[in-house]
Amino acid sequence: MSKVSSLAAAIAAIPDGSSIALGGNTLHRSPSTAVHELIRQDKRELTLIKTAGAYDIDVLCGAGCVARLIVAYVGFENLRGMALRFRSAIETGQVHLEEHTCASVIAGLRAAVQGIPFMPLAGMTGTDLAPGRFHAVANPYGGGEVMTIPAIRPDWAIVHVQEADSEGNARILGTTFEDALIARAARHVFVTCEKLVSGAELARQPELTTIPAFQVDAVVEAPGGAWPASCAGYYNIDEAAIGRYYEMAAQATPEHIRAFIAEQVEANQCAAVGAR
Amino acid sequence: MRGGWGALMTAGGVRSDEPAVIMVTALSRLLRDGERVFHGVASPLPMVAILLAKATHAPHLVYINISGGIDPAPSRLPRSTTDPALLEGTRALITLADAFDLSARGELDTVFLSGVQIDARGRINMSAIGDPARPKIRLPGGAGSAFLLPTANRTILWRTRHDSRTFVEEVSFATGSGKVDRVVTPLCVFRRDSEGGRLVLESIHPGVGADDLVARTGFALDLTSIPTTPPPTAAELAALAHVDPEGMHRIEFA
Repeated sequence: MSKVSSLAAAIAAIPDGSSIALGGNTLHRSPSTAVHELIRQDKRELTLIKTAGAYDIDVLCGAGCVARLIVAYVGFENLRGMALRFRSAIETGQVHLEEHTCASVIAGLRAAVQGIPFMPLAGMTGTDLAPGRFHAVANPYGGGEVMTIPAIRPDWAIVHVQEADSEGNARILGTTFEDALIARAARHVFVTCEKLVSGAELARQPELTTIPAFQVDAVVEAPGGAWPASCAGYYNIDEAAIGRYYEMAAQATPEHIRAFIAEQVEANQCAAVGAR
Repeated sequence: MRGGWGALMTAGGVRSDEPAVIMVTALSRLLRDGERVFHGVASPLPMVAILLAKATHAPHLVYINISGGIDPAPSRLPRSTTDPALLEGTRALITLADAFDLSARGELDTVFLSGVQIDARGRINMSAIGDPARPKIRLPGGAGSAFLLPTANRTILWRTRHDSRTFVEEVSFATGSGKVDRVVTPLCVFRRDSEGGRLVLESIHPGVGADDLVARTGFALDLTSIPTTPPPTAAELAALAHVDPEGMHRIEFA
């Protein structure tokens, strides 16, 4: 059964107030085209879940789409520095942050994947992130205690992959990050891909299919779908575009962010068409 | 060669008196041959230090990063340290969850982490300045720190800024704390005192004045008979110029 959709229709299926786990890591294989469409459709009150985010989290905060974050890092690494709209959203109280460490995000997702309410996690001593939020339990099989992390069950996972077929079987080339995990933890999965390929092509090496079609709600062919982040095997980070965003974001209102994104996306699409 | 420069050396545009070069060689020397070493996001100096160690005294070091490539041989060094460039040449690929599991079961030897603030007991703050619920400055977050600090066998901290607002007696919020072993800065190397758990001086970099170091550190220091950090050797400079021709070890100083 084909699950090929339009970008607008796929994003329209995500209601305001949804919790969304985003694929990729910092500026790599971020589902940017889907993020831009969330902004264009003016989604509100979203909860975003990710280990380490960058442009994707920052721009959604700046556009006023976010109510809550479950993240361990948001920043532009050493390309630029702090994520300015994320920072402002937290400092003004516009967005509520549930600060995690990367391993606790993964532990919470693993609990959801396994259908249990929490997951034990090693370590987590000596951190002010834990008190009042994460609880230790007694080891029922021996002495001592172990910290636990509550399940993180996203309503949606949105991932951008290199290749998928029309039914939604998705193949990630290179690093998978937490994409396979979020696709299993979430109630619904939306996949964008650089290229739609045939089912026969995927059948040649099914072990490369990280996300099976039966878990996927919709798939959209979106060349350049991670831009301005990288997509391994296709393109590197567009450092100039990240720079333009960063300069603009220093003082930007949600209206500025929306106008800028619309303009940049259109310019990038024209450039991509010109390059073909 | 104690207490002075000796001859200034250069190789491939790399100078032995640059703070970035002193830091990256000091970080590299802390690594041991054969151990398993991990760095995360925003970690250019650790990335270069690991590659430098592998090119000099630690060829069998196992290099692990978030891209999941084991022992990559990147043809160019990226500004983002989770870049697909860090997959090049790898013959095995693991996930970030695999790397954390390795640490959880005590099999990850060394982790590189940093802190916007680092306190006298080696606790780091990557979360917030001011009330964490409504901070004056919201920081990026510690990524893997809170989990890795207590689980990895040792942590090496690095920070390219050394002043009394960065190195404080006590952080207002501990994003993480645990098995900190060394801290490398542009001025000195700290080690963790095994008895009191406090950071104490191990060596002071060439050309750094004792008064300056004291003024720029927010906790008490004992300067009695502290040696000078040995300057980078000609072999280290040549290896650095080879592994990092574009100077990614400098970008944290920009």
